[in-house]
Amino acid sequence: MSFTPLVPLIGISDVVIGLSLGSRLFLIAVGLSLIFGVLGVLNFAHGGFYMLGAYVTLAVISNVVDNFWIAVVVGALAVGVVGAAIEFSAIRRLYDRVDSDLDQLIVTFGFVLVIHEAVRFIWGSGSYSIDPPDVFNFSVTLGGSTFNAYRLVVIGLAVGVLVALWLFITRTYFGSLVRGTSSDREMAAMLGVDVPRLYTGVFFLGSVLAGLGGALSAPIQATSPALGDQVIIDAFIVVVIGGLGSMGGAFVGAMLIGMMQSLGPQFISAGSIAIPFLAMVVVLLLRPEGLFGGIGE
Amino acid sequence: MSATDTGGRVSRFGSAVAEGWTRERFGLLGAVALVLVALAPPFQVYLFTDFLVVALFALGFNLLYGYTGLLSFGHGLFYAGGAYGIAIVLRDLGPVIADVVGTGISPLVTFVLGGVVGLALVVAVAVPVGWLSVRLEEIYFALITLAFGMLGYSLIIQDPAGLTNGTDGVIVLLGTVDLGGVSLRIGGRRIYYLISAVTVVAAAYGVWRVVNSPFGAVCKAIRESPDRAAALGIDVGHHRWMTFIVSAAVVGIAGVLRAGLASVASPGLTHWSTSAIAVIATVIGGATYFYGPIVGAFIFLYIRWAISRFPALEAYWELFFGALLIAVVLFFKQGAVGGLLLLRDRVLGDGDAGDAGSGGGGALDEGGQATTATDDGAESGGDSDARTDRGDDS
Repeated sequence: MSFTPLVPLIGISDVVIGLSLGSRLFLIAVGLSLIFGVLGVLNFAHGGFYMLGAYVTLAVISNVVDNFWIAVVVGALAVGVVGAAIEFSAIRRLYDRVDSDLDQLIVTFGFVLVIHEAVRFIWGSGSYSIDPPDVFNFSVTLGGSTFNAYRLVVIGLAVGVLVALWLFITRTYFGSLVRGTSSDREMAAMLGVDVPRLYTGVFFLGSVLAGLGGALSAPIQATSPALGDQVIIDAFIVVVIGGLGSMGGAFVGAMLIGMMQSLGPQFISAGSIAIPFLAMVVVLLLRPEGLFGGIGE
Repeated sequence: MSATDTGGRVSRFGSAVAEGWTRERFGLLGAVALVLVALAPPFQVYLFTDFLVVALFALGFNLLYGYTGLLSFGHGLFYAGGAYGIAIVLRDLGPVIADVVGTGISPLVTFVLGGVVGLALVVAVAVPVGWLSVRLEEIYFALITLAFGMLGYSLIIQDPAGLTNGTDGVIVLLGTVDLGGVSLRIGGRRIYYLISAVTVVAAAYGVWRVVNSPFGAVCKAIRESPDRAAALGIDVGHHRWMTFIVSAAVVGIAGVLRAGLASVASPGLTHWSTSAIAVIATVIGGATYFYGPIVGAFIFLYIRWAISRFPALEAYWELFFGALLIAVVLFFKQGAVGGLLLLRDRVLGDGDAGDAGSGGGGALDEGGQATTATDDGAESGGDSDARTDRGDDS
C-alpha cells in the first residue's frame, strides 16, 4: 500500500459527493434496519428493492408522466407493494420455525435471484441514467470545487426522512405499536396488537424506503441489473457498523461509508475497497450490536 | 469396512436401489459408471466434471451448514484460495520445477504441488478466519463470513501484493506430461475428468467418514442444540472452529479442481454470488442429508444445461433457481433427497425413514481431524449420537 501525503486536497465537492452517496445508503439501510429490528428478518432482497425503485421511476418518467417527483413517489410505493406481497406470501410462513433466521435469509436470497432476473427480463441488461429534475439541475461552486445541486437535495431529503421516521416511531400510535412489538412480540399480541398485519406494514414501510433510495438515486448513478447486488453489500456494511435495528446508527454508518467511498481512494491507492469490509469484520467481532447499538432505538 | 455394516444392513443409498446389494458391489458399479463417463462426448465430460467440482464445493459447505447449523456466505473465499494457490504455483514455480525434475514429468509434479499448496493456503486462511467467525451465530455468522469473503474479493481485485493479477485473474495452463514417449495432456477433458473424479470421490469419502465419526455426531448435536451440547461437556466453540477448517479444506480442494477446469483463477470465485452456489445446491438437494449437496449440484448443473437448450430461457436461468429455492425452503425443507427417500418409503412401504444417515455412530475414528478435535467431546457425544439424527420429522 502506498500512502500519499496526509493532507491531500479534500475538495468540498468530495464531501458533498460522499454525503450524497451516504444519503442513498441511509435510505436503503434504514429500511433494512427497521425490518430487522421489528421482524428479526435480515432481508437479502433489500438491494433488489432499491434497484426496483430506480427502474420503476425511470419507467414512469419515460413512459407515463414526465415529472420526476411523481415518478419517485410511484417508484417508492410500487416497491412497497412488492415488499408487502413478498412478506405476505413467503416470509410470514417462516416466523415460527426453529431455525427461522437462516431460512429467512435463504428465502430472501431466492428473491434476489428472482428480482434480478425479472428486472433483466423487463428492462434488459443495459444501464440507464436520467438527468436530475430541472429545478435542481445546475452546478454549485463552493470553495473552488463544483458539484450538482441535486446532490444537496438528496442529502436534505435523507435528513428529512431520518427526522420523519424518528417522529413517526417515537410520537405516533403506530410507532408505539412498532416499538412494543419489536421488544416483546408475544406480549404485544396478547394485548391485542394484530402482529401479522403490523409486520406486513413494517415490511411495506421498509421496502418503500429502499424504493425511495433507488428512485432518488436514479439521476446520480447508472441504473443496471448489477445495482442491487452492489448496494445490498454496502447496506449490510452500514447496518452492521451502525447496529442492526438502530436508525441513528444507520444514518451515521451510511455517512461514514459514503465518505469512505468518496475520500478513501485519495488516501490509500491500493486496497481501499477492502476497508469497509475490514471495518465490518472488526465491528462484528468487537461490538456485534453496532457502534450505535440498541434495537428499536 | 465391516464395522460400518452393522447387522448386515446396507447403506441407505444402496437399499434405495435394491435390497440385498452390498456396499462393495454398489461402490464397484459406481466406479465403473464413473470411468464410463469419460467415454461420453467431450461437452458431457466437461459438464460432469463441473458437476463433481460443484458437488464437492457444496459438500464442504454443508459440513458447516447442514451438520453444524452455521450458514456461511463466504465459502467462495476458500474456493478461490485453492484456485489461486495452484494458479500461482503453476505460473511462478512451473519453470523452476521443470529445471529440477526435468521437463517430461514436471507438469504433473507442478500440478500436484500446486494442489497441495492451494490446500495449505486455504487451511492457513481458514484457521484465523474460522477462529474469529465461529464466535458469532446465525445471521451474524452469515454476515461475518460474507464480510471475510468480500474482504478477500477486494484484496484480490486491487492486488496490493502484486500476486493475483487484479480483475483479469491468473491463467492456468496445466501442460503435457511426457512419460518415455507417452504424452498426456493433463488439461485434456477426459484426463482432467479422471483426475477430478478420483480426487472428488476420495475427498467425498473423507467427508463421509468425518460426518459418520464421533466428530460428525458432535456436529449434529451442536446443530440441534448448542446449549445442550455444551451441557454435555462439548467445547462448542472449539468444535465449530475445527468444522470450519475441515469444511474450508474440502472447499479448497474443489477450488483447486475448479482452476484447472476453468483454465483460470478469477476474482469472481471469491464473490458472495459464488458462495451462494453452494447454498443453492445444498438447499435444493437437502441440507440434512449427506447426499443432499451432491444431488443438489447435479440438479443445479443439469437443469441449467437443460434450460440452455432453449435460447429464450437461457438468459434467465437464475430466475428458475430463485423460485426453486424459495419453494423448497417454504414447502419442502428436506429438499430433493428428502423427496426421494419419502418416495422410496412410499413405494417399498418401509416405515423407518427416521434412522437414515446415522451410520456408524461411535465406531470410526480414522479421519485425522476427527480424532484430535473430539478429545473432549468423544465420551459424552458417543452414545447419544444416534438419537440426535434429524430427518425424522419428514
